[in-house]
Amino acid sequence: MNPVRVALAVARKDLRSEWRTREMVPALAQFIVLALLIGNFGFQIDGHNAPTIAPGILWLALVFAGLVAFGRTFAAEREQASLEAMLMTPASPVAIFAGKALAASLLLVICEAVLLPALTIFFGTELNGDLIFAVLLATIGMAALGVMFAALVARVRARELLLPLLTLPLWIPFVVAGGQAVQSAMGLPGNYQEAIGLLIDFDILFVVLTSLAARFVLDE
Amino acid sequence: MLVAGAAIFFYAPTDFLQGPVQRIFYLHVSSAIAAYGCFAVVLVGGLIYLRNESAIADRFARAGALVGVVFTTVTLVMGMLWAKPIWGTFWTWDARLTSTLVLWIIYAGYLLVRRLAEPGRQAARLAAVVGIFGFIDVPIVHFSVTWWRTQHPGPIIVNDALPAQMLATFLFTMACTLVLAAVMVWIRYRIETLTDERLHVAEPVQMATSREPEPAQ
Amino acid sequence: MSLVVGNGLTHWFGRELALEGVDLVIDTGEHMAVLGENGAGKTTLLRILATMLKPTSGQLQIAGLDAFKERRRLRHYLGYAAHATGLYPALTAVENLEFFCDLQEASRTRVDESLDVVGLASVAKRRAGELSRGMQQRLALARAILHEPRLLILDEPDASLGDDAADLLTRLMRDRTVVMATHDHALANRLCQRTLVLRHGRSHGTASRLRVVK
Repeated sequence: MNPVRVALAVARKDLRSEWRTREMVPALAQFIVLALLIGNFGFQIDGHNAPTIAPGILWLALVFAGLVAFGRTFAAEREQASLEAMLMTPASPVAIFAGKALAASLLLVICEAVLLPALTIFFGTELNGDLIFAVLLATIGMAALGVMFAALVARVRARELLLPLLTLPLWIPFVVAGGQAVQSAMGLPGNYQEAIGLLIDFDILFVVLTSLAARFVLDE
Repeated sequence: MLVAGAAIFFYAPTDFLQGPVQRIFYLHVSSAIAAYGCFAVVLVGGLIYLRNESAIADRFARAGALVGVVFTTVTLVMGMLWAKPIWGTFWTWDARLTSTLVLWIIYAGYLLVRRLAEPGRQAARLAAVVGIFGFIDVPIVHFSVTWWRTQHPGPIIVNDALPAQMLATFLFTMACTLVLAAVMVWIRYRIETLTDERLHVAEPVQMATSREPEPAQ
Repeated sequence: MSLVVGNGLTHWFGRELALEGVDLVIDTGEHMAVLGENGAGKTTLLRILATMLKPTSGQLQIAGLDAFKERRRLRHYLGYAAHATGLYPALTAVENLEFFCDLQEASRTRVDESLDVVGLASVAKRRAGELSRGMQQRLALARAILHEPRLLILDEPDASLGDDAADLLTRLMRDRTVVMATHDHALANRLCQRTLVLRHGRSHGTASRLRVVK
């Protein structure tokens, strides 16, 4: 079966499973709410400076939500040994990886769809196309890396510790560039064009690398 | 190394601006360079291992990672010792410190993955992937933070030109440190070889070339 | 021509020896049982045969190919079912099979056929997580034969099946080469022509149906 259809089949399967069990929604919702609350009470904010810390809150929430979402993509597979079953088919590991990354990114995007308006409501930030574009771009690269490391630690002990340890250093470039892009999209000083350019570069680099690594991480 | 130590203290002149503390600089930078060298070994070893499962490559990778983490720790600690008197703070999030810290975290992760994964093939493959991503990530992090700093100018680290005596000391120290690193990697490699023998890991045997599958019956 | 030829298959898990120097030969169409106590190495051997595990040393040829190197190509030949079912609890039986059918590049008609073979047609629309353990086991078996593999590898398939295990397995095993691990000597005798006995990772020889060594 051609790899694209395999990837779509895997993504569809993941999303269908998630939809039916709805386990991830409460966990992700928690993070969003927490992030908003901490943002409000943890910092000295008023109507004026609220927008300045909003980017930080956004990334905090995204990083934690991402760790949860990507960590879980392989949790179910591990429980049921279904990853093995998938690998016993002729389907290429890269296609399987792509499918899971796609499904996990969609879940994160749904989070973002809730988070961004919430920030507008509670922190008074601007919500515009630039902002959405920047966040989506960052999601791509973060998903590729997050899902790859999730696959890697799926078969290793102490995975709850290892996943953030391995993933966060690789997410730093995305948070830095994405942070700038988000800031400038929200009307704060920052170079949007350059930041977006960097995000695109990082996306390309890491999507290619993780695809190459997929077969070593997934296959026996 | 002892000669290098002597050189550091007696031969090199005291730096005008920073005082005796500046002498840490020789070892600090040499350590950093030695660490990068070790991690390059990890990268190459990992790549070779993924390509053809050479146990020798894997052992070098393991050795390199351990020695590299040791040197990175030394670099970070010395950096902090030097920073406090000079800058007044132990730490600052500039490009170099951030990327060195990231370096440390990544390879600590490498060692953990090695330890926690199923020993043998799986641990080797997974760790190789970590090592490769880690090595690529560090310059990217460095670049990102540098770029970020150009958006938000912060404290600048002054890098003066070095007078001849200091330069000589530095080069000598660096040479000695690199030799020390190489020796440590070699020793560790020997230890890993013994460990492998106990765990029955060997070079893969080449089988007869494959043919087309038998016709269906 | 033998379908499976294994030479000196050995596997270490860290410092634990799971399998030591096992030789085996399986001819096309044969049904072979692998007997042994828990921990004897049956699962390890079966996983190696299914090319899911690379032995620390030793060679394995399936259909004349180096099993591990060519494992991508051999996927079409092999079917595997073990204790862990590898099914998605939130999906229905049919959805599970359809998914694996797609990955296996098999025609979707096989879904209904396989369900019939294992007798699960009546629960096709039920979620896999809601099925009993025995039914899940049967669904896993259905999954294993979706692509009509020539070599079927079963790890204790009778473990959760009920009384009709023998009938079901006979149907499954028809016209296929099968390697089956089990505790049940009587079942092994009934279904298989040869047995391989494993003890502490070592093979204690293969025997024909009449001479099962305890």
